[in-house]
Amino acid sequence: MKKGFDKPLFVAVILIAIFGLVMIYSASFVWANYKFDDPYKFVKMQGIFLVVGIILMIVLSKIDYHIYYKYANIILLICAILLILVLIPGIGTVRNGSRSWFGIGSLGIQPSEFAKIGLIIYVSKYLTNNNKEMKSIIHGVLPILGVIGLFFVLIMLEPDFGTAMVIVLTLVVLIFISGVKISFFVKIGLVGLLGIAGIIIAAPYRMKRIVSFLNPWSDPLGSGYQILQSLYAIGPGGLLGQGFLKSRQKYFYLPEPQTDFIFSIISEELGFLGVLIVTISFMFIFYRGMLTSLKSKDLFGKYLAFGLSFGLIIQASLNLMVVVGLIPVTGVTLPFLSYGGSSLLVSLASIGIILNVSRN
Amino acid sequence: MFFNDIHTRIRFVILVVIIILLLVIGKVFYIQVISYNKLSNITEDLWSRKMTINAPRGDIVDRNGNVLATSVVTTTIYVVPNQIVDKKKVSEEIAKILECDYDDVYKYVSKNSSMEIIRKGMDLSSEVADKIDKLGFDGVYLVVDSKRYYPYGEKLSHIIGFVGSDNQGLSGLELTYNEYLTGINGELKYYSDGKGNKLEIPDSYVAPTKGMTLELTLDLEMIEAVDNELSNAMDKYNSDGAIAIAMNPDTGEILAMGSKPSFDPTNYQDYSEEVINRNLPIWMTFEPGSTFKIITLASSIEEKTVDLFNDSFTDSGAVTIDGSTLHCWKHGGHGTQTFLEVVENSCNPGFVSLGNKLGVDKLMGYIRNFGFGSKTGIDLNGEGNGILFKNENMGPVELATTAFGQGISVTPIQQITAVSAAINGGFLNTPYVVSSIIDPSSESIIYENKKVTKRQVISEETSATVRYALESVVANGTGRNAYIENYRVGGKTGTAQKVSDGKYLVGNYILSFIGFLPADNPEIVVYVAVDNPKGVTQYGGTVSAPIARSIMMSAIEVLNIPEKDGGMLKEYVYTDTKYLILPNVVGMNKENATKALKDFKVKYSGNGDKVVYMSPKANSFQSVDTTITLMLN
Repeated sequence: MKKGFDKPLFVAVILIAIFGLVMIYSASFVWANYKFDDPYKFVKMQGIFLVVGIILMIVLSKIDYHIYYKYANIILLICAILLILVLIPGIGTVRNGSRSWFGIGSLGIQPSEFAKIGLIIYVSKYLTNNNKEMKSIIHGVLPILGVIGLFFVLIMLEPDFGTAMVIVLTLVVLIFISGVKISFFVKIGLVGLLGIAGIIIAAPYRMKRIVSFLNPWSDPLGSGYQILQSLYAIGPGGLLGQGFLKSRQKYFYLPEPQTDFIFSIISEELGFLGVLIVTISFMFIFYRGMLTSLKSKDLFGKYLAFGLSFGLIIQASLNLMVVVGLIPVTGVTLPFLSYGGSSLLVSLASIGIILNVSRN
Repeated sequence: MFFNDIHTRIRFVILVVIIILLLVIGKVFYIQVISYNKLSNITEDLWSRKMTINAPRGDIVDRNGNVLATSVVTTTIYVVPNQIVDKKKVSEEIAKILECDYDDVYKYVSKNSSMEIIRKGMDLSSEVADKIDKLGFDGVYLVVDSKRYYPYGEKLSHIIGFVGSDNQGLSGLELTYNEYLTGINGELKYYSDGKGNKLEIPDSYVAPTKGMTLELTLDLEMIEAVDNELSNAMDKYNSDGAIAIAMNPDTGEILAMGSKPSFDPTNYQDYSEEVINRNLPIWMTFEPGSTFKIITLASSIEEKTVDLFNDSFTDSGAVTIDGSTLHCWKHGGHGTQTFLEVVENSCNPGFVSLGNKLGVDKLMGYIRNFGFGSKTGIDLNGEGNGILFKNENMGPVELATTAFGQGISVTPIQQITAVSAAINGGFLNTPYVVSSIIDPSSESIIYENKKVTKRQVISEETSATVRYALESVVANGTGRNAYIENYRVGGKTGTAQKVSDGKYLVGNYILSFIGFLPADNPEIVVYVAVDNPKGVTQYGGTVSAPIARSIMMSAIEVLNIPEKDGGMLKEYVYTDTKYLILPNVVGMNKENATKALKDFKVKYSGNGDKVVYMSPKANSFQSVDTTITLMLN
């Protein structure tokens, strides 16, 4: 029964993670030097997380994924507790306006990132167990939507809109592939649109955000600032880029270029060619995950591999769309490439689990 | 079965993801390729700080390359406070060099702004600038600027004009040729981060390009001579104004042009707009008076309605036309004269007769052909049109007065251009002051102004006869005060009563003279007009002719015009100083020489008996007051 795991996926992930580390250095050394007097500050931290993450990935690739099926409820419970704890001032710390971190020195851990995996495991198990009930909206779909909604509310309390979006989209699509009627999704789509309309009416500043997304030049120093600075990085990159380390926008023009907007710096330094490489790499990783899901003979494994792969690609897609100005700024990091320990650990862990599924 | 359903949906999701990623790639392509130029330009501005280095304006030079307007280099000190590390030290050192208060400098250096100017413009000498440059502080920049300088000030202000505070041309040639004179600004560009700190990326420096050089047809020496004469005329006669133009009649090149009142181009704000805007030689219109008779004369000769030498005219002192009596300027008239004498005497009834023989259409046709009633097209701004009667509105009285230069209104430039045509063989040229535009870096000529002949108005022969008649005016007639011994001078006087509100002003005249030399082949034509001189006989011959003579004397030196034989001898009147031909006495002994020079004063040098050298040289006309120096061996 012992089979090798998906080597192309493993190699692709290692390569993109190392590429990410290099680009984090390039994107962050100006800021790191300014804030910490140490240009290597961010890259050192991320390096540690990368080593830990790769070990974690290899370990998880060896742990039979059925164990998550068994402990899914407990894992979810722990996630819920952590998400509640992080909201309590004194335990959770505020960074960039969100109380979504457990701070240990300069290290920060985001429980919402881990909740992502917890929820995918839980929903996969739910879908496996309630295969028949999923035909029924009331008995099958609504209960699990209720659980998802609860977590959504917890994460929105931090608030971390980006992660909440990623989780909800991932789980809804996961439920979608389980065979729930299409008409239901049309309905929640409509409800969603109404909801968004309601949210905008309730808080008109969000309208401003949308306007600034459509025309960032309308408020270049306010709400349009980030997206404009991102375009200013991408544009001059041209076909081949300014060259590695040669970004100008990272010199205090683009705020915190090593996190959400690292793709701008990649575009600036490596040009359209770099963009193609990054996008194709993500597509390849997603595709390998999907192959694992499609090949899996086990329903739980199928859902799990799909959910984790889709979770990564939807997060990457949202980040890329924000950075290039296709959707308004949501605050989503780019898996493997953005600076952030929790995100990297969770991404590598997801791959580890997928790799284990691929063994079977 | 059940798996198939899931797999279908998974494949659908893969498709959606591929579409999203393609959208992302498409958008990046759009940003990086389609909007590349736009965004690159924006970011270039975002990343760099620019300091404009103003290009010096082009020079304006005369025909011999003498600089008439130039740009003087000045230096401005900028600081970029963010880039200065040790603000105190920098302030101390700069204050020491500028010999000013430390606090004065520190307040700029410590300001929270992207750029501050410590010293701007003239008050920074080049030594001071060098010292600051040698300090080599980061964030301290010296930017070279320029300021307009007019070495000949008032003498040329109406032609050259002046510039405003940003070195933009506001009047005169500075305005009309602003586009050429303005250089291309350079810039010093350095790159900085989002906080304004200088980045270790090499500064880029684009040197400014100096504006084009404007070479004029003017001659500085002639300008100075003209200005000198006009100043004298203003002082001597306490006149309201004075105008002079010197022109090459063959080409239309203006050699000198001047007028009073004038203004100082550096402090133009101190003068009234009227003085600044009115370039009198081309703007002012007035009755020309008798100088205009040259036109009537030329037209009559061309039309063969008069034979100057054989036809005669009897002037009783007045002529009655249509019930109006027109008087000759000479009370009692000139009696019976040939028409050449009519011209010499500037006899009004004689010209009335010439006008009548031509008739309205012919006379007015020639007047228009000679360029009156429309702008000459000189390359200066603010030219006047002048006013002529319409042919259909002209009765016999208007025809009569027009024939001797009254009842019409013309500009000085029209007059000199028309008279040039009358004496240069008949060709009406467009006058001009800019001869070429030169690129100072390559010394190549960008644009060259050439002689433009509008038309031939009269024949070569007619022109020759006009020249003869006008030489005769100077030798024998009203223009005698312009006679220059050993040279052939032609000319015509003019006395015109000024008109205000449709009425002639009493005792208020513009006295003018147009002269040229050599009379047989003119190289220069000079126009002089003095507005309302006081305390002098009100005739052009007494006031303006001597001024024109002085200007022509200068022209002889400046243009190196050789002496001419064969000119008409001056007909002396008792008030004139007598001129005689100086006989050659070199080689004679002292006694014979003294005898030969009995009409002159003689001074001897040396102790010998034989004349070896004499000064002035022999065979030239000399005043009997001249002292002849003889060197004896």
